Amino acid sequence: MENVIEVNSLAKIFGNQTALENVSFNVKKGETLGFLGPSGSGKTTTIKILTGQLRPTSGEAHVFGLSTSSLKNKDFRKRIGVLTDNSGLYNRLSIYDNLKLYCDLYNVPTAKIDEVLRLVNLTDDQKKVVSKLSKGMLQRVLLARTLLHDPELLFLDEPTSALDPANSKHIHEGLRRLNDQGTTIFLTTHDMSEAETLCDRVAFLHKGKVQLLDEPKKLRRQYSDSTITVELKDGREIVLPGGSEGADTIYNYLSTDQVVSVHSNEPTLGDIFVDITGRELV
Amino acid sequence: MTVSMKRIYAIFQKDLKDLSKNLFVSSIVILPVLMAFMYSRMGDILDLHYLIINLTLASVTAFIQCAVIAEEKEKHTLRGLMLSPATLPEILTGKSLVSLILTIVTLVVCMMITGYEPANLVLISFVILLSCLFYLALGTLLGLLTKTVVEASVVILPFMFLFGFGSMLKPLVDDYAILGFVEYLPNTQLVELAYKIESGLGFGSLWSHLAIILTWVIVATILTIFVYRKREMDD
Repeated sequence: MENVIEVNSLAKIFGNQTALENVSFNVKKGETLGFLGPSGSGKTTTIKILTGQLRPTSGEAHVFGLSTSSLKNKDFRKRIGVLTDNSGLYNRLSIYDNLKLYCDLYNVPTAKIDEVLRLVNLTDDQKKVVSKLSKGMLQRVLLARTLLHDPELLFLDEPTSALDPANSKHIHEGLRRLNDQGTTIFLTTHDMSEAETLCDRVAFLHKGKVQLLDEPKKLRRQYSDSTITVELKDGREIVLPGGSEGADTIYNYLSTDQVVSVHSNEPTLGDIFVDITGRELV
Repeated sequence: MTVSMKRIYAIFQKDLKDLSKNLFVSSIVILPVLMAFMYSRMGDILDLHYLIINLTLASVTAFIQCAVIAEEKEKHTLRGLMLSPATLPEILTGKSLVSLILTIVTLVVCMMITGYEPANLVLISFVILLSCLFYLALGTLLGLLTKTVVEASVVILPFMFLFGFGSMLKPLVDDYAILGFVEYLPNTQLVELAYKIESGLGFGSLWSHLAIILTWVIVATILTIFVYRKREMDD
């Protein structure tokens, strides 16, 4: 399948600080790639380079076949939607007026406003003035603005970081729908469950380097110790090896009706991140 | 490069709505109007008319432009515009229209109060409009160079003084050589040009003043575009 993003040996150095070092990856059309890493790991820097807001120090990056030096053209900007930490709204205007401006800039009918507000669960709030909104609502308006022109490629920097679980779930469902319709998503997050829910592949970014890149399931399998935990009715939790030895023991417990639950001990993405980098994701 | 009037109008409309709710910035229009009332009793003196006109250009045109651009930067909304399909001419034209319209309205009100009737209204209107372009570029430039509205409001003060009242320093040029530059300021040029127009002099006597004002416009515009391009990137 066609690559929408191609990054080769990308590096970015600010003064004497290396933000990105030899980063290479591709994102295929219709894929959701998650960049996982703690604050300062280079996630936002990557988005800024890929959206033409930063020049790389070395290496190459192409988005829709365009090199980073040609990302300022109008047609490119119509094809992407960007939500980063430096996205802002007009505080004195209503949600509707903020979105209407962007409808006009992207030549999108204003009827689209209702559609995107439904997606972010703000249909009844469009007349509210932005200065009166909570942080979570602001984040949702910004996301709505990003989606207004049906971009083919979405760059989302921590899209649900300020949201409560119910709204995060609602946004995740919306993003999955968009992805099903063919939108490519490049997402940065330090929320493991968000990465698991949304991403086809995840990359672990630490100290400016991609440490691992694969499908979440494959990574969990690869780093699994192949043990199984059995929870018994008497309250005990027994860890058994996988394979025939463990299977026999589980069979014995099952046949004597002692089992409450059986779980394979796959690590979470967070566990794997700690394994690889020696530090937590937050 | 094609320019979309729809995008320019969208930015203008947004700014108009936004500025109507921003009294901190929009109330600056009171300053030249008050001055006009004060000076209206002193008779028909060309220097006074142009003191008010220059003050309007420095305060209303440059200050409002500077404040709206600085606020776009402060609230990170300018980056949103830069990442949209709107081009540099569309964004800067759209963002200059409110300041320009407020300037024209303020100038007309002030001229009505002071009773100023130029000998050649068309020519004077053209020169004031040309000067407006310089003040718009100056305001945009300072707005782009500062980080917040408060910072912009302070940084623009010496410019407001220089371009608002600078022409009043001209009588001191003979005694203080260091003030020689005052003769080349766009506000001084505007006053000199107005005197020549009132005396009925033709284009042959006016072109040097027009050329100096145009030079200010071109230099300020080039600097503004350069800084805008720098601000598109985070490097």
